[in-house]
Amino acid sequence: MRQVVMDILDGSPNYKASRYVEWVITVVVLTNCAAVILDSIPSVHLAYKDFFHAFEFWSVMFFTLEYVLRIWSLGAKFSDSAWRGRRQYIFSPFGLIDFFATMPFYLHIFFPTLDLRILRVLRLLRVLKLSKYNTALQDLFHAVYSERKAFGSAVFLLLIATIVSASLMHFAEGHAQPEFFGTIPHSIYWAIVTITAGYGNVEPVTKFGEIIALVSGFLGVCMAAIMTGIVASAFSNQVARKKAAFEAQLREVFKDGQMSEDEQAALKRLQVQYRFTDLQVEAMLQRAKSKTAGGRS
Amino acid sequence: MTTAYKKLQRRTLEILDGEVVSRASVWCEYFIAILVVLNVIVIILESVPEIHTAYATQLHAFDLFSVVIFSIEYVLRVWSAGAKYPPHTQGKSGRREYIFSFYGLVDFFSTIPFYLQLLFPGADLRVLRMFRLLRIFKLSRYNSAFDDMVAAVKSERDSFSSAIFLMFIASLLFSSMIYIIEGHAQPDVFPSIPAAMHWFFVTIISGWGNIEPITFVGSVLVIFTQVLSIALAAILTGVVATAYTAQVERREALYEMELRDILADGVVTEEEQERLKSMQAKFGMSDAQVEALIEQMEEEKRLAQNQAGS
Repeated sequence: MRQVVMDILDGSPNYKASRYVEWVITVVVLTNCAAVILDSIPSVHLAYKDFFHAFEFWSVMFFTLEYVLRIWSLGAKFSDSAWRGRRQYIFSPFGLIDFFATMPFYLHIFFPTLDLRILRVLRLLRVLKLSKYNTALQDLFHAVYSERKAFGSAVFLLLIATIVSASLMHFAEGHAQPEFFGTIPHSIYWAIVTITAGYGNVEPVTKFGEIIALVSGFLGVCMAAIMTGIVASAFSNQVARKKAAFEAQLREVFKDGQMSEDEQAALKRLQVQYRFTDLQVEAMLQRAKSKTAGGRS
Repeated sequence: MTTAYKKLQRRTLEILDGEVVSRASVWCEYFIAILVVLNVIVIILESVPEIHTAYATQLHAFDLFSVVIFSIEYVLRVWSAGAKYPPHTQGKSGRREYIFSFYGLVDFFSTIPFYLQLLFPGADLRVLRMFRLLRIFKLSRYNSAFDDMVAAVKSERDSFSSAIFLMFIASLLFSSMIYIIEGHAQPDVFPSIPAAMHWFFVTIISGWGNIEPITFVGSVLVIFTQVLSIALAAILTGVVATAYTAQVERREALYEMELRDILADGVVTEEEQERLKSMQAKFGMSDAQVEALIEQMEEEKRLAQNQAGS
């Protein structure tokens, strides 16, 4: 029973119910966010106060039920100790989000004087619950994480570019425009604006300053290109990696020449996880089949 | 020269170079990096007049301290670089190589102005400060960002140079055209082609320019310049992305080659494992990636055996 509940809440593709649960949670979260936003308009708040209050109450009940069910069912995750899976969930980012998105309501009951605006912001945290069902966001994090070195290097270059162009500007224009370039911290502000937003907030007066300003503006364009390039290549590398992993799994399956029920289910799960289309999988399947056939003959 | 002297020289080179990773070299690296960062912060703060007057003695003492450290570092580097190549290799001097390398020049010019100031007390302080700021480039020795960037640009130099060439032609063409068309209508804004070129670069960098065109053809030209600036950004992004992907692929291929080499004899010794680990860390590859590679290789091996057996 615990196992079944855990699989359903976890979105395992083996149960139809898990899809429905996902949909229901998504809908409740979205209507909740709409309610929080509308509730902040004074006239709407006055007119539908009771409705919003009841709605909030029932959704908190719903989320609490979800949270409790998750904690209870995750006891089945590891066979050795029930609390290992639970602890893992409670302190995972999703567990914390679930907790902090639900808790403010109870806080409000115990401490009625709390600032309502803080509660409202905490309630908006519920939108993050959706990220659990959005693998694209997780992909983004993974891609960025795997290229963290490159990002670090890019930030390092940006830092050097900012400091060097700011100091050069201070030397070139410090006397001509002391109100903007009198100190290096002042010029750093100018350099950041120029590199991020383009040429512009302060017109340089000297010829040398003009050249530095143009070069810094161009550096800004280059910086944007570098960042975009890293993200783009991180994504394409990640897709290639997933493809390789899936193909390895496929080869593993075909090693003995046939596909059992279990293996098929595993492949299906992997396909859902990696978000491959059926067409892609079909193509990879053909390739793996022909390869193993060639190898065995 | 005694062997002890040689040994000491060799060891100093290893510590300063950080190529053979040991605890001493890591500490040395951290110490110099932190000192450089502090130096940059001090130079920035020094330019604020209030701070400069309030903490003049402390700042001066700090500068003196760092100059002493950096001087010792420079002297040690020059001395130990002599051990880079064995003495019998003719015509290759590690010292000359270091002194005229990028980092050697940075080390020299970021330290020497202090002594110049002692000799010629009348020198302009702002120029000295600029030289001191060169110290920031000492950091890039410990970060591969610069080298990576240079390598990427080098490997894609054809695309980069064609993009720059395109820019150059466009700047000549557009600025002379806008000079011809708008020069009479706005003689104060477009008095010459260089002035028009300045306008062109500002427009390319930051979008819709600071100058409103008056004539119809002029506004068409401005719109084309805008489109060109978007195209330029796209070209640059594309080139960087390709260069970067190629670099990652190259690294993975290198790792794969190494792995194949190691797995060829069927046993993985401790030393080989160490080498793989350090390579993986250097290339920033994830464990999952490495596992997939190993799996693929084992599969290939099995297939080859099957083929040989049948």
